[in-house]
Amino acid sequence: MARKVFMIGRDEIPASVSLGAGEKLDWTLVCLPGTSAVVDLAISLDGPGAELDLAGLYLCPGSENVRMNVSVCHNSGGCISHQLFKGIVGGTARAEFDGLIYVARDAQKTKAYQQSHSILLSAGAWAESKPQLEIYADDVECSHGATTGFLGENELFYMRSRGIPEKDARRLQIISFLSPVLERLPEELRDDIISEC
Amino acid sequence: MNNSLLEIKDLRAGIEGKEILKGVDLSIGRGQVHAIMGPNGAGKSTLSAVLTGRPDYKVTEGSIEYDGRNLLEMTPEERSWAGIFLSFQYPVEIPGVSITNFMKTAINARRKAQGLPEMKPAEFLKLLKEKMAFVQMKGEFAKREVNVGFSGGEKKRNEIFQMAMLEPTLGILDETDSGLDVDALKIVADGVNSLRSPERSFIIITHYQKLLEYIRPDVVHVLKEGRIVRTGGPELADRIWQEGFDGIDG
Repeated sequence: MARKVFMIGRDEIPASVSLGAGEKLDWTLVCLPGTSAVVDLAISLDGPGAELDLAGLYLCPGSENVRMNVSVCHNSGGCISHQLFKGIVGGTARAEFDGLIYVARDAQKTKAYQQSHSILLSAGAWAESKPQLEIYADDVECSHGATTGFLGENELFYMRSRGIPEKDARRLQIISFLSPVLERLPEELRDDIISEC
Repeated sequence: MNNSLLEIKDLRAGIEGKEILKGVDLSIGRGQVHAIMGPNGAGKSTLSAVLTGRPDYKVTEGSIEYDGRNLLEMTPEERSWAGIFLSFQYPVEIPGVSITNFMKTAINARRKAQGLPEMKPAEFLKLLKEKMAFVQMKGEFAKREVNVGFSGGEKKRNEIFQMAMLEPTLGILDETDSGLDVDALKIVADGVNSLRSPERSFIIITHYQKLLEYIRPDVVHVLKEGRIVRTGGPELADRIWQEGFDGIDG
């Protein structure tokens, strides 16, 4: 299946998707500034060899409120799922990522990975990642990572000492942080997002 | 053109309300290499932080004139554009930013500040390769994220690489030798020595005299308790090596 990009708040995102044997899904969810939304997405890998590559990016610099509830269910063995979510949260915005990985008893040889990271740009911003793993099979490879933090002052000074102005240094940090998700987007959208940073 | 590049007068500075530099006077001529030695806590790193404009350090008294300009009024990036470079004691990791992207951004930011167009990609690549060879870094180095997963020696070589890329007028090496084995020390020293020129000055901040065997300084200063207590020629470094800092007084 081809890559698909969903603009949160504009495109309709299916609430649930089932992948059969050998089916592949490659989706990227993008939430642009000014959008508040709740996204509920349940993807189940129901046939052997199904593969999910899911990414998300949310930019909430103002007073947005974004919640993503994503559940990935490995019901069949030998499937792979990758999830990568990145968010920039400023102003008084709120962003929450709830991510469930479920691996059924029979879903042996499952590989499931989830990463969710956000950067806070202001003291009034709030972000939370809640990863959840429910694993009932024993021969699986699963990992998850979640971080929330501010742009580092040491990094900033290091860059400035090399002649990179403060504003550009912060922007470089943000773009670098988002780059693994930005790479998945069509060039035009990517350039629009970069110019918003 | 004045022969003095840097004039520090009665500099008092510190961090979080604690005075660390208690009246430093230092004059550095163009083309000279000055070593600043001193025990832990003498204020060596505070001096490098103040010279590069680290925001958390505050200057309470005194003046610093660099190339005829009031350095204390300049932002860290302006100081870089004016030719000041610090090789960090603890180089910072910047995940997600490749060495290539980092250096391209730095060089073009300076060119923009100087009213020059961006460097052409081919020209940049040539410069990058040339300077990587200078510190014996291999091809994949340019693609690596800045300092992420680097060994201690690689981090310091990366600092010298950046210094070679940015071709400063005043290079400051803050304990670049600490934690280096002899091979890495030689790469660093060779790098600095081949950058020495009548227009370029260096401040070598160090704890040990070892690096000064490879980079012979013109002047050696001993910094103790926030003041320069002794200034001499290279032989002063040798004496410290034999007698320790305790034997050196003002």
